[in-house]
Amino acid sequence: MLWQVPFRDFQFYSIVQGVALKTKILVANRGEIAIRLIRAIQELDYEAVAVYESPDKDSRHIRLANEAVWLGAGPRCDYLDISKIIKAAKKSGATAIHPGYGFLAENPDFAKACEDTGITFIGPSSDVITNLGNKVIARKIMAEAGIPMVPGSDNLAAGKEGEEFAIAFAAKYKYPIMLKATCGGGGRGIRLIENDNQMRDEIPVARAEAKAAFNDERVYLEKVVIEPKHVEVQIMADKNGKTVHLGTRDCSIQRRNQKLIEIAPSMISDKALLQEICDTAVKAAKASNYFNAGTVEFLIDKEFNYYFMEINTRVQVEHTVTEMITGIDIVRTQIKLALGKPLAFCQEDVQMRGHAIEMRINAEDPQADFMPEGGKTVSVYRSPGGYGVRLDGFVYQGFTIPEVYDSLLVKMTVHGFSWNETVDRLRRCLQNFVIAGPKTTIPFYLNIAKDEDFISGNFDTSYLDKHPQLFEYDDNANEASKLSNLIAEIHHRGHNPYAA
Amino acid sequence: MERIVQGASAAEVVKQLQNSDGYHITNTARDLSQSDFKNRILLHTDLLAADSRERAGYFSLEITGGASVHVDILRKQVDPFLKLELLREKMPNTMFQTLCRGVNLFGYRPYPQNVIRFTVKEFAKYVDVWRTFDFMNYIPNMQAVFEEVAKAGKLNEPCICFSTGPEHTDAYYLAKVKEILDVTGEDIVLCIKNHGGLGTPKRIGELVDTIRQKYPDLPLHYHGHNTDGNDVGRIVAAVQNGANIVDAADASFTGFYGPPPILTVIQTLKDLGHNAATIDEEAVIETSEVIRDERQHYEAFESQIKGFQPTVQIHKLPGGAMGSSLEQAVKGGFLDKMPDILHKELPRVQKELGNYWSVTPGSQILWTTAVSNVQGGERYGNPSGDLRNLLLGKYGPFPFYEPDEWIFEKVLGSDWKKVLEEEGGVEDISDMDIDKEKETLTERIAEDPTDQQLVLYLQHPNDAVEFFKFEAKFGKVHVLPPSIFLKTGGFEPGETLEFVDHTGKEHMVEVGPSNVAEDGETSVYLYVDHHQRIYKFAPELADGAAAAPVAMSKEEVLDLAKAGDIRASFSGNVCEISVEEGQEVAVGDKVAVMEAMKMQTPITSAIDGIVTAVSAKVGDALQPGDKLLKVDVDE
Repeated sequence: MLWQVPFRDFQFYSIVQGVALKTKILVANRGEIAIRLIRAIQELDYEAVAVYESPDKDSRHIRLANEAVWLGAGPRCDYLDISKIIKAAKKSGATAIHPGYGFLAENPDFAKACEDTGITFIGPSSDVITNLGNKVIARKIMAEAGIPMVPGSDNLAAGKEGEEFAIAFAAKYKYPIMLKATCGGGGRGIRLIENDNQMRDEIPVARAEAKAAFNDERVYLEKVVIEPKHVEVQIMADKNGKTVHLGTRDCSIQRRNQKLIEIAPSMISDKALLQEICDTAVKAAKASNYFNAGTVEFLIDKEFNYYFMEINTRVQVEHTVTEMITGIDIVRTQIKLALGKPLAFCQEDVQMRGHAIEMRINAEDPQADFMPEGGKTVSVYRSPGGYGVRLDGFVYQGFTIPEVYDSLLVKMTVHGFSWNETVDRLRRCLQNFVIAGPKTTIPFYLNIAKDEDFISGNFDTSYLDKHPQLFEYDDNANEASKLSNLIAEIHHRGHNPYAA
Repeated sequence: MERIVQGASAAEVVKQLQNSDGYHITNTARDLSQSDFKNRILLHTDLLAADSRERAGYFSLEITGGASVHVDILRKQVDPFLKLELLREKMPNTMFQTLCRGVNLFGYRPYPQNVIRFTVKEFAKYVDVWRTFDFMNYIPNMQAVFEEVAKAGKLNEPCICFSTGPEHTDAYYLAKVKEILDVTGEDIVLCIKNHGGLGTPKRIGELVDTIRQKYPDLPLHYHGHNTDGNDVGRIVAAVQNGANIVDAADASFTGFYGPPPILTVIQTLKDLGHNAATIDEEAVIETSEVIRDERQHYEAFESQIKGFQPTVQIHKLPGGAMGSSLEQAVKGGFLDKMPDILHKELPRVQKELGNYWSVTPGSQILWTTAVSNVQGGERYGNPSGDLRNLLLGKYGPFPFYEPDEWIFEKVLGSDWKKVLEEEGGVEDISDMDIDKEKETLTERIAEDPTDQQLVLYLQHPNDAVEFFKFEAKFGKVHVLPPSIFLKTGGFEPGETLEFVDHTGKEHMVEVGPSNVAEDGETSVYLYVDHHQRIYKFAPELADGAAAAPVAMSKEEVLDLAKAGDIRASFSGNVCEISVEEGQEVAVGDKVAVMEAMKMQTPITSAIDGIVTAVSAKVGDALQPGDKLLKVDVDE
């Protein structure tokens, strides 16, 4: 019996495991997405270069990559440091960089820096990122193309002036109002504002957070569509302007505007409407001269009006569900497109089959307002397997979750022929998933997988607020530990002092 | 005939018994546990037996009441209500029976009327048959219970406590039966409660026959103990003379002081032409087989002295008190004096104190008085408070005759007549302020108690609180089998323990090494569900395991915030202090911003006041409970 889980202690130097003759692609990210990218790169018979900050020294992406470059002590600042990443690419001989999602993925300066140094940036051009990343410019492009949109403001001016404008905007469109980081995305830098006082309080906080997360403190406002569904369309476009969509995803189940569960395709039964949304997405992509993979996000209100929200100029966390139902490897396609290949398929070739659900298994305590569980060690990790389940994760037994990054441990994607079959599989896989050490979202998801509204496809962005019972579950791991405490005492004292 | 199932009204049950073509059996599992295993048989074992006991077709399963409610929370660490709930899940049809001590409920002293009614009301949600007795056969002491049971639509089973001696005549008991029926009406079962297993089969036969002649339709339930080894004889006599229900227990667990084996009763009576109605013999046999192997784990709680005790006819101790009396004798080091106590002093005390019924709490009074008379030198020289209350008539009037005056003088003092005049008589205990008790309990366990928790607290305040704390610390331990819960001598290194928790999830615990550090602290290594955990024990284990230092809980932080002491409620970094010392703040004002895992959270003040201290600065990494700043109310 091993009483300690051994693991390699990585030193802070780059690991070279072979002669660099093949095409090398640097993965400018960490966590599960780094591994996802490394897998695609290695399947193409290229070599993957990982980068890491000190808190990630035990991370699995370093071991899977063909080589790894230490960026600095971090946290976060080195993953966000454009010059260090470019230097790492040069040093390792990488000719292309995949940014993943988050960090520098939607930073036009980074794409520009790659373009300027002759490194292939796997994603759209810096101009496209600039335009679409600036929500105000993006709205203008979409308005000109006739894409339906939610009422919103320009960037808020600094100080009192911006504050007063915000109050006036809210008076016109009524609370609640969304306060959004101009360069935000993926749920980051979005706040729901209910009244004037909160508006005044939150504008500076939002600016500070935007500054820290995106290095750009600009914020703007948008009217809130009440209890919408969040539906998005995956787009792929080559350099010749050939643009196809890979269908819809429903990402309505969110907490604090961060997606938790994503489903492909959307559960809306009106197929003509979904077709129209997909066509609109292609139109939006073309209007912005889009290239590579992107996601066009829409809100759908209770009357099934849809509004353009934004285009995410990167691979999405939830790209896996689209891959499962289309069979198209999005990351592989991204790399090929970036290296100048044309799209190998046309719209008619894209066939949707079945349903897929992705759940983001986070180290968080849903019962304590999703308090992060960073700093804890994964002492047991037993994952589900078998037909129709896919795991994209990076943790392993013995791994200590760094406190300084996000709390996503593993994405579990299940695929099934019918919706019911998919939900059944989801339930089975969640039941088979054992993670001990940190609290996770698994027991909470299990409640969702058993919830009538979820099973019948009846959910929108208000789902969690309206289903407080989802947060009622027993922490079994905790119970076993409590009972074991008694067992330890019976063992230690040679009898049970509480039964004497 | 159709078996009697849980949910039927009292009148329907009585009617079924009257029309039955045989006699019925109550499986007296609780009394067996109390008499022969010091009440330690665990819910785990009862749950193992539940399926076959359900199929066996008993009139009822006596599974709660007596001393078990107290022992459940004190020594078995199981919620007596949860126990009934879980058994009910597995036994949907069988009626559950309790033993209630009337005004003394499940304890040793009279309770206020409102506590009695509240307690009965809560337990009656699970308990179908209420066997109620008073050790003085003083019927008013049982009235509140009768009323609440009837109100809940459950079956009353009032007892006449039985004993022997010149005063214990058929005429006396007949008068008692009438007294009971005058209070309860006819929809009851009457119990002849022979808690000592006293009298001969002939005597029991006569008594049953006398009552049967007078009340031809009244269902009679004979309850006895096998202390002298002859309860089957008394049961046979009872049934032959018209008893409808008798008590017995599962053979593989029978001992010396509890009920006799069910199967023996069935076989004996069958040969005499009496049919055990609705009984499935196969299921009776199966139960004994299912639980047989569990008995070894209860060995420590079996009687210190083996063998039947025919001398019970002399000392009259009830079966339910035999085990605990012997245990006391062993612990008190006076086992050698037991023949004197049991065969000389106890019968003498019994006679001197009015020859009432030796059953709780009266049996404890007799027993402690006899022990103290033998041990203390001077007889009645060191009277207990309960003996004093007995003489003062607090429990009810003496049934036959009063003790001699010299005993009153010894116990109550030289001015005993004045004391008796001033303090004597059945006490009219004033109602308890239950709402206030609830507030106290809420404070002690730091959460809103359920009604069930409150009931347990009202019975045994300190033991209930200790139990609630135990449960919070160790979880629902009824899932542990006796092989774990009652293990002595420690487990083998490498031994694998398995159990299923209360949600149905299986767990595996592997026992690892124990290390003792230089300071004497022991670390016990367990591998819980393949996950190593270390449990530490301080060298002096005065109050259980040593508490590990823990960061402050969210609730504690919120409580302090209400007093203006603002602390971090999660671990994270301070990214802004929004106020300065001396600044005025109002409820809801942002005072700081903290960040964890990329999310920034504004921290707000919970009170109006003035910032008097700022303890943290931007960039500080705080743990839950670390001080941020302080706001004092502006005077």
